[in-house]
Amino acid sequence: MCICDLKPGEKGYVKKIYGNEKLAKRLQALGCIEGTEISVKRTAPLGDPIIINLRGFDLALRKNDAKKIYIKED
Amino acid sequence: MMLKKFTSRRTSMITAALIGNPNVGKTTLFNSLTGAKQHIGNWAGVTVEKIEGYLNDNIKIVDLPGIYAMDTYSNEEKISKQFLKRDDVDVILNIVDASNLERNLYLTTQLKQFNKPIILILNMIDAAESKGIKINYDILSKKLGVIVVPIVASKGTGIKKVKELLENSSFDKLENNILEFTTEKETYSYIENILKGCLTRNTDSSKISISDKIDNIVLNKFLAFPLFFLSLFIIFMFTFNLVGQPLSDILDKLFNDSFIPYLNSIMANSSEWFRSLIVDGIVNGIGSILVFLPVILTLFLGISFLEDSGYMARAALIMDKLMRKMGLSGKAFIPMIVGFGCSVPGIMSARTLESEKDRKLTALLVPLMSCNAKIAVYALFTSIFFKKYKALIVFSLYLLGIVLAFIIGIFFKNTIFKKNEEPFIIELPEYKLPDIKTLMIHTWEKGKGFVKKAGTVIFAASVIIWFLQSFNFSGITDMNSSFLASIGKFINPIFIPLGFGRWQTSVSLLTGLMAKEVVVSSMGVIYGGNLSILLPQYFSTLSAYSFLVFVLLYTPCISVVATMRKEYGNKMAAFSVAYQFTLAWVISFLVYNIGKLF
Repeated sequence: MCICDLKPGEKGYVKKIYGNEKLAKRLQALGCIEGTEISVKRTAPLGDPIIINLRGFDLALRKNDAKKIYIKED
Repeated sequence: MMLKKFTSRRTSMITAALIGNPNVGKTTLFNSLTGAKQHIGNWAGVTVEKIEGYLNDNIKIVDLPGIYAMDTYSNEEKISKQFLKRDDVDVILNIVDASNLERNLYLTTQLKQFNKPIILILNMIDAAESKGIKINYDILSKKLGVIVVPIVASKGTGIKKVKELLENSSFDKLENNILEFTTEKETYSYIENILKGCLTRNTDSSKISISDKIDNIVLNKFLAFPLFFLSLFIIFMFTFNLVGQPLSDILDKLFNDSFIPYLNSIMANSSEWFRSLIVDGIVNGIGSILVFLPVILTLFLGISFLEDSGYMARAALIMDKLMRKMGLSGKAFIPMIVGFGCSVPGIMSARTLESEKDRKLTALLVPLMSCNAKIAVYALFTSIFFKKYKALIVFSLYLLGIVLAFIIGIFFKNTIFKKNEEPFIIELPEYKLPDIKTLMIHTWEKGKGFVKKAGTVIFAASVIIWFLQSFNFSGITDMNSSFLASIGKFINPIFIPLGFGRWQTSVSLLTGLMAKEVVVSSMGVIYGGNLSILLPQYFSTLSAYSFLVFVLLYTPCISVVATMRKEYGNKMAAFSVAYQFTLAWVISFLVYNIGKLF
C-alpha cells in the first residue's frame, strides 16, 4: 500500500520510494527512508495536496507524488 | 574515522559561509551579524539571490540559500556546493533548528565533506526547551567535530559568542573527521546514534500543538479560502488603498506640483532643450521610479509577514490544485494577484518561489493581469464608446487576461518549460510571530534593489523616449513631427489589420511603453482637442474594443521590462516583449476580424 491509502490520523512505516529520482532523493534527504514512521495529518481543502508528518515536522506533497511512497502498517 | 588538515587558505580576509535549512532563522542571524553592511546581487547565471555582508573590515559573511541537502539537483544546491568548494571559504556557519535536529543535521553531515571548520549554530533553543528537548552541547560538539553555539536569533541571545568565535578565529583549532556515507539510510542512522547520546525528549505527545490548532482553522474545508482571500484583501488594502498608494500619490503630487515647477523656474534662463532634457527626460524618469517605491515597500512588508509567520506555505497548499493546471505551484498565485495592481511588484514577488522554472513562468504570466495603469485607458474609451456597458467591458478585459494567462501557462508548461517538472514538496513550518527587525530589513532589501538596478534602466529609457518625442533631424520640435511620429508612421501598417491603423494611435501606443496611462495623455497631445469628440472619428465601436484588447496585452511598460531584465536577464526581457506583442496582435486581430462578421 502507499501513503495515499492512509486516512488522516493513521500512520505507517516507509518501505520504499518509487518514481523519479529527484522526488526520491529529496524525500530521502528529509529523512523519509526505509523504516521511518510516517503519518497523514490532513488533506488540503481541495483534496490535494496532502500533509504528512515525519520525524516531527509537516510536509505537503501532491497525491501524485505521495503515491510513490510505499508503506507497511504497523 | 579519518583526521585531516583543513584545506582553507587563510588570507587577511576571513570568509564565512552561512548555510542552513529553510525556516530556521538564517536571515535573522545574518542581519544581526552584519547589520546594514550588506551587498545584494545574483549568483552568476541563475536567479538565486547572493547576499554578502561584513561583520567587520576583515570578516565577510556570505548568506547561502536555504536548502535541506547538497545533492537533490536544485540550482540553490549547485551554487552552494560550488561556493563551499572554493579555497577562500574559511569557515562554515551552519544554522540549525534546535527542535528539529535530526533533519537539520543531515545537511551538516554533507557539509563535513567540504573539509572546512564548521560552527554549528543551534537556533531557537528556547522553543526547543519549551517542547521538552534537552541537548548536551559538549557531547554533540565532540561527536560531530564541530563548534556548537546555542542561540535565540530573534532575541539576540548567543550572537555575541558567534561574533567572538569569528573575530578570534577560534575555529582554527578544530580538526576534521571526514564522514563518508553511501546512502541516506546510513546517514540518518549515524545521526540518530549521535542524538541518542546527547538529546533527551520529554514531550507530551497527547498535547495538540498551537500550529495544529491554527491549521485546524486555516486549512478547514470551508474557512480556508475565505481566510486566504481576506488576508490578501488586507494586504492589498494596505498596499493600494491605505498606505502604499496614498504615499505614492503624495510623492507624485509633491513631485509634479512642487518640485518640477520649482525646477522649471530656476531653469527659466537655460536653453529650452536643456531644460526639457533635465525636467521632462531625466527628472521625470527618476520620478516615475520613485513614486513606485512606497507601493512596493508596503506590498513586500505584507508578503514578508505572510512568509515569516509560516502562513505562505499554507497559502501555497491551498492554491496548488488550481495553479498546477497552468504549470505553476500554489505559491505563484500571490505574484499573479499582485500583478492586478502593478506588474513590477508582481514580478519581484515571484522571487519568493522555490524553483527557477516557477519564477520565470510566473514572471512571464504576471503582465497578463490587467494592471492599474491600464484603467486610465479603459476609462477613456468606455466612457466614449461603451457608455451603457462600462463595467461589463472592463470586466471582460480583466477576464480575458486571466483566461489567456491560463492558456499561455499551459502552452509554456508543455513547450519551453517542459523538461523542468519539479516535484512539489514543501515544509509547513510552525507558525510564529514575525520578528519586526527581520521584516523591515527583508522589505528594504527588495526596495533598495529596485531603486538601484531597475532605476538605471528606466532612467536611460526615459531619456531615449524623451529624445525621440522632442527631436527630429532639424532639432527640437513638438511630438507631431518628432522622430517618434516618424516611427509611428513607419510601424503604422501593422495595426491596420487590427482596425486602428492611424499614425496617431501608433504613436500613443509607443509612448505607452513609458507607462500605460501615458497612452491617454499622448492621445490628448497628438489629437490636440477634446478626445470624446475626436476619437469617434477615428475608431468604430469594434476597433475601440480591439484597441483596448491590444492595450491590455501588448508589450509591458519599461518599468516592467527593466524589472524583468534585472531579475532574469536580457533574454527573458526580450522574450517577454516579443511574446506579448505577438499575443496582443493575434488576439486583437481575432477580436476585430471575427467581430466584423456580425
